[in-house]
Amino acid sequence: MPLLEVERVSKAFGGVRAVSDVSVSLEEGELLGIMGPNGSGKTTLFNCIAGALSPDEGRIRLDGHDITGLSPHRICALGIARTFQLVRPFGGLAALDNVLVGRLFGRRRHDGGAHVEAERLLALVGLEGRAAVPAAQLTLIDRKRLDLARALATGPRLLLLDEFLAGLNPAETETAMALIRRLLAGGTTILMIEHIVWALADLSRRLVVLSAGEKIAEGPPAAVAADPAVVDVYLGTPRAGRGRA
Amino acid sequence: MSGRGGRSETRWAAAILAGFAVLALVPLAAPRDDVLNFLLVILLSITLAESWNIVAGYAGQVNLGHAAFFGIGALVARTLWIDGTPIAAATAAGALLATLSALVIGVAAFRLRGAYFAIGTLALGEISRTTVGNVLAEISTLPTATISTYRLTHRYYVALGLAAVSVAVVAALARSRLGLGMEAVREDEEAAEASGVGALRLKLTALALSAALAGLAGGLFAYYHISYYPSHPFSPHWTFDAVLMTFIGGVGTLHGPVLGAVLYVVLKEYLAVRWVDFHLLIFGALFVAIVLVLPGGLVQAAARLRGAWRR
Repeated sequence: MPLLEVERVSKAFGGVRAVSDVSVSLEEGELLGIMGPNGSGKTTLFNCIAGALSPDEGRIRLDGHDITGLSPHRICALGIARTFQLVRPFGGLAALDNVLVGRLFGRRRHDGGAHVEAERLLALVGLEGRAAVPAAQLTLIDRKRLDLARALATGPRLLLLDEFLAGLNPAETETAMALIRRLLAGGTTILMIEHIVWALADLSRRLVVLSAGEKIAEGPPAAVAADPAVVDVYLGTPRAGRGRA
Repeated sequence: MSGRGGRSETRWAAAILAGFAVLALVPLAAPRDDVLNFLLVILLSITLAESWNIVAGYAGQVNLGHAAFFGIGALVARTLWIDGTPIAAATAAGALLATLSALVIGVAAFRLRGAYFAIGTLALGEISRTTVGNVLAEISTLPTATISTYRLTHRYYVALGLAAVSVAVVAALARSRLGLGMEAVREDEEAAEASGVGALRLKLTALALSAALAGLAGGLFAYYHISYYPSHPFSPHWTFDAVLMTFIGGVGTLHGPVLGAVLYVVLKEYLAVRWVDFHLLIFGALFVAIVLVLPGGLVQAAARLRGAWRR
């Protein structure tokens, strides 16, 4: 059984169908990349999975259990954690407190050792020594790291990363990718939205491409990159009469 | 604030409670009624400010209908007490009803966010004041028998106990998992939800806790005043006093509302003696200035000064 099944999900805002009849499934331990132009519905799909939005149609199942339309905090407790496209740490709280929120609230059972675990996660994402710093005073990359540490503190089986690599310089991107690989090796299943195609191609064995709310391609990165529909979305169709048809 | 250590909160709680212990000696050392009355107003203000601080400072929900809970506490306690119920039981009943009404109001009002929540609660508070004013238009005066045995010292110690309880409650909250969750909701409700925090439940808990303390304060009001109009404790000035005191001192901190309450009552007394109602204008301007320039109040000002000193 797949860990996550998104079955024919649709979500409209007024007359705009942001996500239209999209199905995606994810096996345990897999990393699936989602790409697509701006406005193609990637984040809306994420919001439906995480419970921030309730889909108009379709079902979402985690481990076979229907989680469609549950509130975000319940979905989090069931094992899905997310980071935000525009980072959203708790600015007024110390970095350690940010992670403690995830640790103390994001699991159905909470045991002792929350402090130690939170410190460990800060170290894992590269924030050792910044535990007492208010999140608002961290740099962008550090706030992204903190967002991730907070998500990991909830003990997720499935991690949703929304453009986690955006805005990072090449060295930071390498570090972040190494971290993602470590999480995968540790057994976390990851669904990631990303615009950096080479990074996605490197990390995932399977990609899904959305355009205007619809899934237009799915498969191994090389096959997806060669797919005429994908090329069309990203580069446009050559007009008739000019060049090759 | 370094993690959930909450060491500074614990230190402040100890310092404030030590101050209260000293205040407990005041009636023993040649008490003058005007001194006790003045201190009692400060203590009542501390309770009101800390109670408002729970829902606004920690959970981040600017409740402008706070006076309703104070009023309900006063109304129930006064009615039951005059009917013969012991004042402690009457006050407890008032606080309980204030808490229950907070839960009912909360379920409805928390559908609103931010400024809309503030406006909605302000309206609810005004509805409660108008209703009580219409239904119970007569002034409420204590029976002669009660007046003849009236002891200000008793009221003073009740006020002191309540202020101590509210400081202890906020100190415990600031260190707890519950308090951390409330602060997460205050910082970013959506991100808090995504991290597993059930925001509505925590907001309701904050409002209920806040209303319970305000209800107890209302009981003290009913016990303290010999005669007043039943709608008086529902007046919005109780809400805005709490707002001002909390902001002047430092919203979302343990000691801010205490400092704010002391400063506010002392200043108000001084200004009212000289210029009667002019103090309203001064506090209004002060509030705007604080929100714009020093949103963290006195506590933030002190931290800045310390920072500058070290440099």
